[in-house]
Amino acid sequence: MTNNSPSTSANASQLLREHAEQQFAGELAELAKQDERPRPPNWKLSPWAVATYILGGTLDDGFVVTPKYIGNRRTIEIAIATLATDRALLLLGVPGTAKTWLAEHLAAAVAGDSTLLVQGTAGTSEESIRYGWNYARLLAEGPSRNALVPSPMMRAMETGKLARVEELTRIPAEVQDTLITILSEKTLPIPELGDEVQAIRGFNVIATANNRDKGVNELSSALKRRFNTVVLGVPATAEEEVEIVERRVAQLGHALEFPVEAPALAEIRRIVTVFRELRNGVTEDGKTKIKTPSGTMSTAEAISVLNSGLALAAHFGDGRLQAHDIASGLVGAVVKDPVQDRVVWLEYLETVVKERQGWKDVYRACREVS
Amino acid sequence: MPESASIHIFGIRHHGPGSARSLRESLEKLQPDIILVEGPPDAQDMLPLLAHPEMQPPVALLVYRPDAPNRAVYYPFAVFSPEWQAISYGLSRGISVRFMDLPQAHQLDDAGDDEHPDEGAVPGDAPDESPDVKEESALRRDPLQWLAQAAGYSDGERWWEHIVEQRRDSTDIFEAVMEAMTALREAQVEVSRNDGQLSGEALLEARREAYMRQTIRTAGREGFGRIAIVCGAWHAPALAKMPTAKEDAALLKDLPEVKTAATWVPWTNGRLCFASGYGAGVESPGWYGHLWSTREGVVVRWMTKVAALLRDEDLDASPAQVIEAVRLAETLSHLRARSLPDLTEVNEAVQTVLCFGNDAPLRLIRQKLIIGETLGRVPSETPTIPLQHDLTREQKRLRLPAEATQKMLDLDLRKPTDIARSHLLHRLNLLGIPWGVRESVTGKSGTFHELWRTEWQPEFAVHLIEAGVWGNTVIDAAVARANDKIIHASDLPKLTRLLEQVLLADLPQVVETLVRNLQAEAARASDVNQLMQSLPALANVLRYGDVRRTNASALTTIIDEFVARIAVGLTPACSSLNDEAAAVMFDRLLQVDAVVSLLQVGAHLETWHGVLRRLSDQQTLHGLIAGRCCRLLIDANAYEASDTQRRLSLALSTASEPAQAARFVEGLLKGSGQSLLHTEALWMVLDEWVTGLSEENYIATLPLVRRTFATFTLPERRRMGERISHGSGRLAPRQVVLVELDQTRAEAVLPTLARLLGV
Repeated sequence: MTNNSPSTSANASQLLREHAEQQFAGELAELAKQDERPRPPNWKLSPWAVATYILGGTLDDGFVVTPKYIGNRRTIEIAIATLATDRALLLLGVPGTAKTWLAEHLAAAVAGDSTLLVQGTAGTSEESIRYGWNYARLLAEGPSRNALVPSPMMRAMETGKLARVEELTRIPAEVQDTLITILSEKTLPIPELGDEVQAIRGFNVIATANNRDKGVNELSSALKRRFNTVVLGVPATAEEEVEIVERRVAQLGHALEFPVEAPALAEIRRIVTVFRELRNGVTEDGKTKIKTPSGTMSTAEAISVLNSGLALAAHFGDGRLQAHDIASGLVGAVVKDPVQDRVVWLEYLETVVKERQGWKDVYRACREVS
Repeated sequence: MPESASIHIFGIRHHGPGSARSLRESLEKLQPDIILVEGPPDAQDMLPLLAHPEMQPPVALLVYRPDAPNRAVYYPFAVFSPEWQAISYGLSRGISVRFMDLPQAHQLDDAGDDEHPDEGAVPGDAPDESPDVKEESALRRDPLQWLAQAAGYSDGERWWEHIVEQRRDSTDIFEAVMEAMTALREAQVEVSRNDGQLSGEALLEARREAYMRQTIRTAGREGFGRIAIVCGAWHAPALAKMPTAKEDAALLKDLPEVKTAATWVPWTNGRLCFASGYGAGVESPGWYGHLWSTREGVVVRWMTKVAALLRDEDLDASPAQVIEAVRLAETLSHLRARSLPDLTEVNEAVQTVLCFGNDAPLRLIRQKLIIGETLGRVPSETPTIPLQHDLTREQKRLRLPAEATQKMLDLDLRKPTDIARSHLLHRLNLLGIPWGVRESVTGKSGTFHELWRTEWQPEFAVHLIEAGVWGNTVIDAAVARANDKIIHASDLPKLTRLLEQVLLADLPQVVETLVRNLQAEAARASDVNQLMQSLPALANVLRYGDVRRTNASALTTIIDEFVARIAVGLTPACSSLNDEAAAVMFDRLLQVDAVVSLLQVGAHLETWHGVLRRLSDQQTLHGLIAGRCCRLLIDANAYEASDTQRRLSLALSTASEPAQAARFVEGLLKGSGQSLLHTEALWMVLDEWVTGLSEENYIATLPLVRRTFATFTLPERRRMGERISHGSGRLAPRQVVLVELDQTRAEAVLPTLARLLGV
């Protein structure tokens, strides 16, 4: 994702991926129009309307808001309430549980801008959280606010918007701690100028972190205490997961313009079943135990398996999604460790897939590529 | 009934702290001269004990049939139960208090056997029913659900809590409840009108309400002026509108009647809770208790309790976090348009702020605070409970009197009385009443005998009362207790130990569940160590199953599975062990091998020896294990002598590290000085190996071998030496034939070997 501001990308239809506030501009405007509940200072919508935007619903005049996040309503309410209490929000979860997705939509709904983003990497420096210098200007004019290059964090503080920090735990620990002052004092000192930036109301931070990567750069307890932690789980029921996958695949397929039929619900359900069973280590009927592979088997991976299957069907197949289009993607998603995962996968194929009614084609296709 | 009597009906929710508070206030205001409470008149005599200073809720009224104690009903009370408050108010003011429900004497007849005899709590309250009953007649049984759905709540409990329980200033609440219930009952009458005839539950309910009305009429006739009636909200309208006394009398005609007895038993918060067997439908007794005892700052006080608990468990919980958690809980309740945060919001705030999103500490909070660990107490004057009766009966039947002096009991398990005694003692042990302590049997064959040291301690009486929550007969209670233990047993060894106890206590009902759990746990267990550890106990049970007359056929399957799983997992489990872990594994190997050779099942032997063979072929295996694998295979005659010699020289060849080689010898011979002397095959193998060594090799390996031989006792070493010097002649010819050794050279070695062995 880039840091473009929305204005530079006016011709939205040519974009590979639109920001949430661009894609759902209509819904946001309609919500704002009808929303009469009290809004926290500088919020574009009331907390209630934010929840409706994220979870979907029908407004009083019959306008339908599509759900952006399918899952536990309470989790979303906690996240929104956290932002309303001016505590920073930390979204935790295994890979592929829609952390970034949710953060983006929260920022779009609360502040109308999801682009104030700091991507956390091992190379993220203090400048990208605080500010940098335009050295040409610095040399020519000496230190001044003009020579300062503000970070997304600083811009969010100045404008009272939400800043997002992606993959917080990948940022080196000493850089992470830069956030402490920002989060507790709500100010960003600029000692070089004897100045500071004080956050105006509405400013807050949403961070995401992956709890599989624990220990990469564990948050210091000082920083940890400044966040409210919300854990996003994997979808609770198969139906929920099927719905998520179906919705996303349709959206992505639309964007990529595959000349292919939308996959049948039955096909999606089969893939979701495979993912859920391997993730939970037990078959959906609860009767057979199976070993779990080393990968996370997240919903996001299920979506990408389906997508690559669609691409295969569109360009090399007959335009209809078949078992052999999915097989290679499926094997790739399961077998991350060539030795152990292969055993797990073969065991699963032989003991579960083979016996299952109507799954013959899947079994055969997978056997071919495994 | 005289016109002068004024009747005041208080429709409450059983175990609702809000109802309790409102009720108490209303009663203070009303000053009634009699209080009628929905409850079993069978227990009327027990009421005065409630005011006893030693009485500490949670407790339960137990109504049972003395001739069949497992036909019983529990009526649990907590301090926040409105009924408890009403009764204690009445008793403290000297106002008469009466139970007015249909007596259990009419309900505990044999006809109702197939219903839910132990269904907990106050019958008739919708949330108390088990789910299947709920589904069956959802409309009648769960009226609150309708109101809740109408108000946009997903769950009737939560709705009631918000609308009624959390109000703190309400006195007119009872009129509102009455109105709502009247409307609901009218709607329900319409729904159920089609079936015409009253059946099963509906009939029972009609009878109960008829009996309550009759009780009210009696009170009126006796001249009481202000009658306060405390009943479940659902019944309130039925008591307000009085049909003629004749109609009610007709309903109550010809009811079956049995003899019942009643007593108080201590109860626990956990058993008030929905999750456990006999529940009272209260999901969060601890939280309710907190609501009851705290008037101001409910959330703040709760959060400080949570923080204190977390600190006790060495988890961080700073006051700053408590502040943030309270703020989040309040914001959440605003977001959901509620005036006060309830338990859901509080829990979410705790998890988000205090637990950093982790739900493990929340489980602790749930167990310690939300449910709570309070155990009630009943006064010592309380009549004995059925479990005690049952035990006395058993003691008489088995001629096993409870004596306070120590006594040894030698049971011959082949005699029916003795085996019944053994079962009883084992069951009591399972219930936490160690009346008998098992001693190990010496001399006689242990298979048929059990030696017990029995001594009845006075505090066992208390334990018995506590165990009363599990059931009314020793066997029922033991089954319930064992089932509970199964749920809480976390690992394989615990489950196996439990299996042993259960089989010894002869509780076949539990065995099936246990076996199922064992299988599931074994499938999950990644630790081969645990499997290996559990196997001996299982094998013991299987072996003595016949003597104990237990059906252990299911065990065979489990043991098959265990052996298979051990065989699969053993190789990885033996890789890269340090000395300590290897010593543990050494013992485990011995245990499993003992089991396998004891059971003598062909398939097991084959798998097991296959694994050992594969193991001993591994070059990187820890020497101790490799040596022992080799030895086990020699003992089982699975190795040819030449095989062993090859391995021995391989392990002790100069290229291998001396320490590793020494461990191999240790593994091979550890603790077997005697068997070395008496097992011809082993002796031969060693002898031939030593005599086959070249001189340099011999000198090089000498210290390694000595290390193990030095651990043998002196007499053992002496006998070995004697055997070598005396027996050399006997062994020599065979050697010559076999390996064609140079006789003189071989003999030249012997004195040195004798010296080496310290003879």
